[in-house]
Amino acid sequence: MATITVNGKKREYQGSPDTPLLYVLRNELDVTSPQFGCGLAQCGACSVLLDGKEIRSCITAVSAAAGKEVTTLEGLPERWAKQKNLPPAEAAKTLHPVQEAWIEEQTPLCGFCQSGMMIKATELLEKTPSPTVPEIKAAFTTSGASAHLCRCGSYFAIVEAVQYASRLMAKGGAK
Amino acid sequence: MKTSTVQNTTIYGAELSRRGFLKTGGALVVGFAVLKSDAAEAATTGNTMDAAMPESWVEIHADNTVLIRTGKTDFGQSAVYTSYRQIVADELNVPFESITTVVVGDTDRTPDGGGTFDLLGRGVINLRKAAAYTRQGILELAAQKLGVAKEQLATSAGVVSGGGKRITYGELVKGQNLKLTIPLTGELTSMFGLVVDGNPPLKPASSYTVVGKSFKNSIIPSKVTAKETWVTDVKLPNMLHGRVVHPATLGSKLVAAGELDKKKYPTAQVVVKGNLLSVVSPNEWEAVQASRQVAAVTKWSDWKGLPGSTNLYSYLRQDADWKSTTVSRSAKSAGDTAKALAVAPKKHTATYEMPYMKHAPIGPTMATADYKADGTVTVHTHNQNPSALRGQIALMLGTPESKVIVRQYSGPGHYGRSNGGNAGAEDEAVILSKELGRPVRVQWMRPDDMQWSTQSSAGYSDVKIGLDANGKISAYEVDHYMPAMQDDRPIGAVLAGLPTMDAPSPGGARLANTVNGNSDNWVYDGVLNLEERAHGTYQVGQRESPIAVGLRDHSMRTPGQYQQNFPREVAISEAAALAGADPIQFRLDHTKDARVKNILQRLKTEAAWDTRPSPHQKASATGTTPVRGRGVSVMFRTGSYWACACQIAVVSATGAITVEKVTMVVDPGIVVNPLQLKRQVEGGSMMGISQALYEEVAFDQSGITTKDWLTYPILKMSEIPEIKVVMIHNPEVGTYGQGSEAANALAAPAIAAAFFDATGKAARKLPLKPAYVKDLLKA
Repeated sequence: MATITVNGKKREYQGSPDTPLLYVLRNELDVTSPQFGCGLAQCGACSVLLDGKEIRSCITAVSAAAGKEVTTLEGLPERWAKQKNLPPAEAAKTLHPVQEAWIEEQTPLCGFCQSGMMIKATELLEKTPSPTVPEIKAAFTTSGASAHLCRCGSYFAIVEAVQYASRLMAKGGAK
Repeated sequence: MKTSTVQNTTIYGAELSRRGFLKTGGALVVGFAVLKSDAAEAATTGNTMDAAMPESWVEIHADNTVLIRTGKTDFGQSAVYTSYRQIVADELNVPFESITTVVVGDTDRTPDGGGTFDLLGRGVINLRKAAAYTRQGILELAAQKLGVAKEQLATSAGVVSGGGKRITYGELVKGQNLKLTIPLTGELTSMFGLVVDGNPPLKPASSYTVVGKSFKNSIIPSKVTAKETWVTDVKLPNMLHGRVVHPATLGSKLVAAGELDKKKYPTAQVVVKGNLLSVVSPNEWEAVQASRQVAAVTKWSDWKGLPGSTNLYSYLRQDADWKSTTVSRSAKSAGDTAKALAVAPKKHTATYEMPYMKHAPIGPTMATADYKADGTVTVHTHNQNPSALRGQIALMLGTPESKVIVRQYSGPGHYGRSNGGNAGAEDEAVILSKELGRPVRVQWMRPDDMQWSTQSSAGYSDVKIGLDANGKISAYEVDHYMPAMQDDRPIGAVLAGLPTMDAPSPGGARLANTVNGNSDNWVYDGVLNLEERAHGTYQVGQRESPIAVGLRDHSMRTPGQYQQNFPREVAISEAAALAGADPIQFRLDHTKDARVKNILQRLKTEAAWDTRPSPHQKASATGTTPVRGRGVSVMFRTGSYWACACQIAVVSATGAITVEKVTMVVDPGIVVNPLQLKRQVEGGSMMGISQALYEEVAFDQSGITTKDWLTYPILKMSEIPEIKVVMIHNPEVGTYGQGSEAANALAAPAIAAAFFDATGKAARKLPLKPAYVKDLLKA
């Protein structure tokens, strides 16, 4: 049995401890934003934050997440609300600036990789609030287990969205 | 509901009827009934699975909201959620925002079928005409209600006014059950689906108010807030997870299925149907592990019937059968190229080679099927042609199409792979669900998707260009060679030995033959002697494989035209160099088409083009410092004119190419949504650079050896160039053109031309990987 904190809630998983976190999130805990892309940590479609660091849930055993905090796309609004100490009523209708930016810049094409892209963007902006374009490119290419791949070619739109999110965060959010 | 006298009114061949009055609500529903062919009639009876759901294109509701339905789906093009709403809003004269619901793809909830391609051409015309009929219906209703002659009425923003009176569309339909029946032709489950017939008056582009604006894509918010139900999220009660253990080679038969280790995997189960071997389990991770364990101990027959990718082009030239398939000659071919070439003082003769490439969706194909005891089956999928899939599943099961429902969800784009109805796992999920009597979700793993899906055909082209004494093209002759490009047989059905459509053959049906068409529209109409021939053949290994598989091909972005445009555009650039001319000026000198001239002139300005012949004065094929060059390419596809300039840097010592700047000029006619078009062009350009620099399917004598993102690398974010997208809005053309797929094709010939400019060496084969580049530079 493993106890993990997913998007601020303690969750228990009874199955085999070697089960990849991805299958536990998607099939047992109904947290479906991380997608199965390769199962090989080569693409980033399954990325989640583990104690704030972007990892690949497709090759991370659920046991490795025990006692740690997992954040997925579902948990980004709450993560932002907590960081900004937003009152509950406001928090409930607030998106993470990264999500706001992804909508504003019309970033996704098919969108299947974008949950992982937004997780990577969140990790980057929490550490580097005003990244340069080379820093953004490095974050999405060399900072993780592999480059984050987008087959539709939305890379340019992602760079623009990260810059937009950075500006939003600097002024305290969308509102 | 109280039944009233039915009033029938005929409008441009459509029929407006009032089927009754209602106490609440009310709607005008646009449906179909006048069917001209037997096939269409059969399709209709098969399309009424849920009688509660009107099979309508457009519905106008009493609250002034509008619903639209289309059989086309979304693969990231955004068209069905943006351009389609804009075009309908303009044709109906309602605000964009009033179209609150878009129903896509589901075979029991959408009316027309057809594949998701040519979205703004053949794709949208049904909805546009349905909307035009509807506006006429609205005018008719208003004339009756207001007592004002139709000719005196005008529509604007969802309101009819005239003769000093006004009424909203919602008020016109309030409390009534109205139906507008429009004429149709076609076949629902064919690749092209049903087609709305007749000629309702269409609004001229000059009076558009919604088309041309940058509306946002309404599907994006749910995708970025984790609220979208993706195809991967479909969970059914009692569902099993399935993994297919694909054969050891592309020609292997099952000798003995491996024994499942029941101690280790107690709830897993092996299912064998012919050569289709699968493992299922209620637990997905158990299914994954158990399938690997079974695969390791399964025995397959061996097969070595492929030429291997290192011998691909010699095999295609010397061994493939190009004689059995009729050669296509392009419609524009004219004059006498042989005669002109014989006397040409300068000639360019070269062969160009294009590899197999994968669609490579970022998520491997998957589907969930639920086969019920009564013989009905529902397939939950991400598909470019749900109605065609419905037909294929019915064929496989030997059941009427009315027993099959296909439901469409968002998923990973796969760029043409399923435009004929299947991407890979749908049929396998159905077979397993039928065998087990439970819903089954089949998820391909990454290697399954790389090694068992279809791919974009390889090909080669022989080009001969003659230049006259003035350095003008006196003759252009090309022979294109490409194996069949459209194999829509579902692979699970093939492996299981169940009925499918035919494999491509010389005498096969329209979408199952080996004929290679001339797909690259000729734009240099100043050339008087032109000969374009396209040669087709069987897919490589298709006849040799004991299971009739081999290297299965399927259209991928700009299918066929990609393989023909690369040779043409690189050859034209090389001919320009032979003539000592600037490659843009050389193109301008060989075209009379005003739109071609316009995009080229615009490209010159927007790319700050350095007008001079190639190669560059400082071109070099040696050294460790980057040398730079620029190249150009042109394409005309589905109503859109494209021109592209690429600037690259080459380091000779390493063979590394960096694309530094891309300028893309597109004239699609009417630009429906500038923001969405820009994003599409950017995306297509990046995928095109990826194809040009990296993408190639490797295979040995038994099967495909590229199996993941390490062996099939694609472009990474660090490698993206600066990009400038220039859109030319050209409303007088009256058509919408297309978005992203042509953008894919333009990068490769522009990069190859830039390589020649930078190094003085011709690059005539894709992809331009460092090892190949180094060989070229040494030669």
